[in-house]
Amino acid sequence: MKAFEVVVARNSRHAVALLAERVPTAKVKVIAGGTDLMADLKFAPSSHAPDVVVDISRADDLRHISMTDAGLSIGALVTHTEIMRSPVIRDLFPALLDAAHTIGAVQTRNLGTLGGNLVTAVPSVDSGPTLVALDARVTLLSPAGQRAMPLADFFVGPRKTALKPDELLVDILIPRENLGKPACFLKFGLRKGQALALVNVAASFWVDWDRNVFVAPRIALGAVAPKVIHASSAQAYLEGRAIEPAAMAEAGRLAVGDAKPINDFRASAEYRRDLIAVLSRRALEGAYALAQSKRSGKVAGGLQASRRGER
Amino acid sequence: MAKVTLTVNGEARTASVSPETTLLRLLREEFGLTGSKLGCDVGDCGACTVMVDGKSVNSCLMLAVQADGRDVVTIEGLATMERLHPLQQLFEDKGSLQCGFCGPGIIISAKALLDENPDPTEEEIRDALAGNLCRCTGYSKMIEAVRAVARAGRDERTAGSVA
Ligand SMILES: Cc1cc2nc3c(=O)[nH]c(=O)nc-3n(C[C@H](O)[C@H](O)[C@H](O)COP(=O)(O)OP(=O)(O)OC[C@H]3O[C@@H](n4cnc5c(N)ncnc54)[C@H](O)[C@@H]3O)c2cc1C
Repeated sequence: MKAFEVVVARNSRHAVALLAERVPTAKVKVIAGGTDLMADLKFAPSSHAPDVVVDISRADDLRHISMTDAGLSIGALVTHTEIMRSPVIRDLFPALLDAAHTIGAVQTRNLGTLGGNLVTAVPSVDSGPTLVALDARVTLLSPAGQRAMPLADFFVGPRKTALKPDELLVDILIPRENLGKPACFLKFGLRKGQALALVNVAASFWVDWDRNVFVAPRIALGAVAPKVIHASSAQAYLEGRAIEPAAMAEAGRLAVGDAKPINDFRASAEYRRDLIAVLSRRALEGAYALAQSKRSGKVAGGLQASRRGER
Repeated sequence: MAKVTLTVNGEARTASVSPETTLLRLLREEFGLTGSKLGCDVGDCGACTVMVDGKSVNSCLMLAVQADGRDVVTIEGLATMERLHPLQQLFEDKGSLQCGFCGPGIIISAKALLDENPDPTEEEIRDALAGNLCRCTGYSKMIEAVRAVARAGRDERTAGSVA
């Protein structure tokens, strides 16, 4: 690994000040948990290696999970383990907990942060689909101030985001109108432990119980396009439609057309297309099951959590 | 160079390292604690697992400077001269390891689990060890060993509450 300088940020403002100071004259990288960056650095050609690494792992102001007027705010430094253990997230969004649980293994989840996961922005990013399905917004901080945008727009392409070199991702917000919106995340990998997704899917919708129809349906797909995408035609098809198995199956078929899966060493595009249809349908079923159990006042742990419990 | 001061297995230690040094290299090369192994060096194999502030992490992915001021426990911190740690003892009794390279990481992962959850289900044990790869023996006897330690702890707690 090429030698570099490490500067330690005390908090997010300090981190941004350090970025402002060093970015104009040096190749600078932020490190949070390091689970992506350290592995990259060990293989990076020295032309890509940073001169300066800004360590934000002690910026404790980015460690909150808190309810604000705008919605549920999750700091960029919150680890996957902390998401799994958050009572608020368990209560409001068990799908986020399920997604965190599928990331790497305990050691990775103890170090790896939500912010690092989103900034790395691999197409299979496991935190991506649920947050995109919940219309999450991200806040970026720079010396010029803050800007916010939908997470769906923050993702630009494989390992590409809207983040500028002097910006820090500080906050992930699930907007107030989506608090408690039933959602379900499903990941299909080649093993149960430490496997990247061949396909990952999140579905979320409100139920109009009087008419039993889908309201504001969302299906977000990962690993089947250059970035996490909305299955737009499936969403349009479901809006206002009666909730029944045939509609969920049809939405799954439509979602296949919204994606552009590739062939690689993990699976063929054809296999991925089959997975999209099946997982999208199951995620819709899972979100509906959660909606029903929430309505009947039961505490639910998410589809994957309850399936794990059954074994 | 960066000065790093941390607690390792209960003792305060200080070293001066170049900033890109990983926690694993600090432990092995500066402190001579070679129990934690360098395997894949990218977080996949778990041979370098240590506890930092009570949580298991891959020390190959953490910078030494990120461990400054923290509390680190390695495999060397488990046994005393008189007595193996119960996990070490049961791994030995059950023949859970063959070449042993993965052992320190596996035992630290199991300890991190039992510290937080003294009576785990088999599913929870499997989940806790999913980040530690073994290429010799398979995992069954390791899981048996962890279960046996949990069972012994449970018996002790029951005996304690009866007495
Ligand atoms: C063994 C293993 C298994 C894994 N399995 C999975 C998996 O199943 N699913 C999955 O999705 N991922 C997986 N990962 C990837 C990784 O663990 C996650 O992406 C993790 O969440 C990254 O967070 P981090 O804090 O470690 O990021 P770091 O490595 O510290 O940073 C990653 C990138 O983000 C930048 N960055 C970090 N935080 C910020 C911030 N706040 N603002 C601006 N830039 C920032 C860094 O500069 C760097 O470019 C795995 C990794 C390993 C090693």
